[in-house]
Amino acid sequence: MRRLAGLLFILVSAVFSIAALSLGFALNSSSLPEPQIASEQNLAVVVNLSNPVQNLSMPELRRIFLGERSHWPNGRRITLVMMEPGQPERAVVLRDICQMNETDFNNHFLHGVFTGEVLVSPKTLATPVGVRKFVFNVPGAIGYLRVSDLDPSVKAIRIDERGPEDKGYRLHVPPRSSK
Amino acid sequence: MAGPAALLDRVLALASPYNSSLLLLIVFLVVTVVGLFVIRDLHTTNVEAQKMYAGSVQGLQRIGELQYEVQETRRSTFYALTTNDSNLQLEYADQSREADRLVNEGISEYLRQARMPHEIEVGRRLQLDWSGYLGVRNEVLASILEGSTKEAVNLDLKGGVPSFERVRQDLQEIKRLYDGQASQQLANVAATSRRTIFRLIGVLGITLALASASVWAIQRSKMLGAIQLAKLQMEFVASVSHELRTPLAVISSAADNIADGLVGGKDQLKSYGSAIQNQCRQITELVNQILLFASTKEGKNRYTLRPLQVSRIIDAVLDNTAELVQEIGFVIERRIESGLPCVMGDLSALSQCLQNLIVNAVKYSGESRWIGIHAFVHDSEERSSREIRITVQDRGMGIDRLEMPHIFEPFFRGAAVTAAQIHGTGLGLSLAKSIAEAMGATLSVVSELAVGSIFTLHLPIVEKQESEMASVTSKPDPSIRT
Repeated sequence: MRRLAGLLFILVSAVFSIAALSLGFALNSSSLPEPQIASEQNLAVVVNLSNPVQNLSMPELRRIFLGERSHWPNGRRITLVMMEPGQPERAVVLRDICQMNETDFNNHFLHGVFTGEVLVSPKTLATPVGVRKFVFNVPGAIGYLRVSDLDPSVKAIRIDERGPEDKGYRLHVPPRSSK
Repeated sequence: MAGPAALLDRVLALASPYNSSLLLLIVFLVVTVVGLFVIRDLHTTNVEAQKMYAGSVQGLQRIGELQYEVQETRRSTFYALTTNDSNLQLEYADQSREADRLVNEGISEYLRQARMPHEIEVGRRLQLDWSGYLGVRNEVLASILEGSTKEAVNLDLKGGVPSFERVRQDLQEIKRLYDGQASQQLANVAATSRRTIFRLIGVLGITLALASASVWAIQRSKMLGAIQLAKLQMEFVASVSHELRTPLAVISSAADNIADGLVGGKDQLKSYGSAIQNQCRQITELVNQILLFASTKEGKNRYTLRPLQVSRIIDAVLDNTAELVQEIGFVIERRIESGLPCVMGDLSALSQCLQNLIVNAVKYSGESRWIGIHAFVHDSEERSSREIRITVQDRGMGIDRLEMPHIFEPFFRGAAVTAAQIHGTGLGLSLAKSIAEAMGATLSVVSELAVGSIFTLHLPIVEKQESEMASVTSKPDPSIRT
């Protein structure tokens, strides 16, 4: 009799344990975000809707952002749009595209404009909305925006055949610091 | 000329009993017509004014706003030239785009409301020209934002200025269209107002003329009535004088003969006395008739109504007139249906009424010297019940059809009667009618020239319970003093 009661206790405990584990997995998979994935956002490179360019390689992108290329294939002059220093988006572009720090980037342009090697001087805007509006208004403009700041007034181009929503996209920006 | 005047007088005589009502009706109709005209014209003017406001004034206001937004689009674009700050330049670009959005909405609204082909054509041209300008404006904005100020200015001078001028001209043309419409509608309102004033003056003139004509007609009708009355009264006085003079002459002559001792013997004296007696009776009769008529008109009489046997009334009448009838050798045929119910009335008054009819029959019977008096029950033509009819019939000269409506009027005497020099005051039938009506009865006549006349007294039958009543005092109404 005591053995039967012991077996029953083990059986009930096993059932409760399985139920508790199942519930735990369900909660994990449905509502709790993975902290590392959710904190980072992709940074899209955007151009005017009239711009025929759909894809750029990373080296081409680097040349554009360093002012070494002045015109698009359709003949439009390239206008580079940067955010103000200190913004995380700018830091990502400098780091991942230009592969420079702030000082090197500024020196590059100072030197390039002086020597005539750089034909484009970047426009500096304070906010992502400003960037979006600038790109919308200027047919030859190119800038960058977080994916969450995108809207249909601008076009996000693919980099090395990968769009900002695709896996393996290379430009990631840390979350905005909440003030 | 006498023909239309006579016709007018006849019309006025016919309308004279209704003149006040007629005047009121005319004034009411005219005022109603005037009111309707005025209300309609005011309504039209109001609608025209509203249409003018909605169609043109609001349209002009919209065009004014459109012109402002067009200028604002261009102005904001130029503001962007005044700074190198890209953030500020973007704000100006936003302002310019907001203004151009409002312009596009305004043009769409204009096209939605445009009805005339020319309006639609100008609207579409404006839409096209505005799109053209916006294309240049976008290029200019892009150049400004890129930092190419010189290029922006060149673009504007080359493409912006001419395309903007085209837009400005389109807007001017639309404004001219609205101005034209407003002027047209203003002219319509003015025309309607003028028409209203003319109508008012016209209708008021007609009103005045109608009112004057009505007043004139009433005055003339009254004057004719007064003349007619005066004429009748003169005739009455002449007639009464004549009626009085004949017996007075007889009495005077007889008195003179007696006084002069020309009358000798008892029989002759008796004959003279009888003549004086007869003449006095005639004078008394005449004076009684006149007094009776006067009292009837003053409405002083009261009747003692009670149920009466018809045979009793007729017998009383025949008794009163027996002497007269016998003197001139008349035959009176008396027929009374057996078992006639009672009638309600005043014996004396009803006797007087029938007596007047018999005296009339005697006067106008001519050579036939026959009078029929007949009483019977008959269905009433005016009431749903039955009634008793007492007819007085003669085979005399009859009454002219044209004189029939007037024979019951006081002092009226027919032309044939006057020509035949038959004595009378013209009061007998009028009195008979007044008495009948005071008893709740009516008097009617049927007559044919040279055949004779039948006067019928229509008396209501007394209900059983009423027949048991001893006597009733009637309301004070024109009738006979008892």
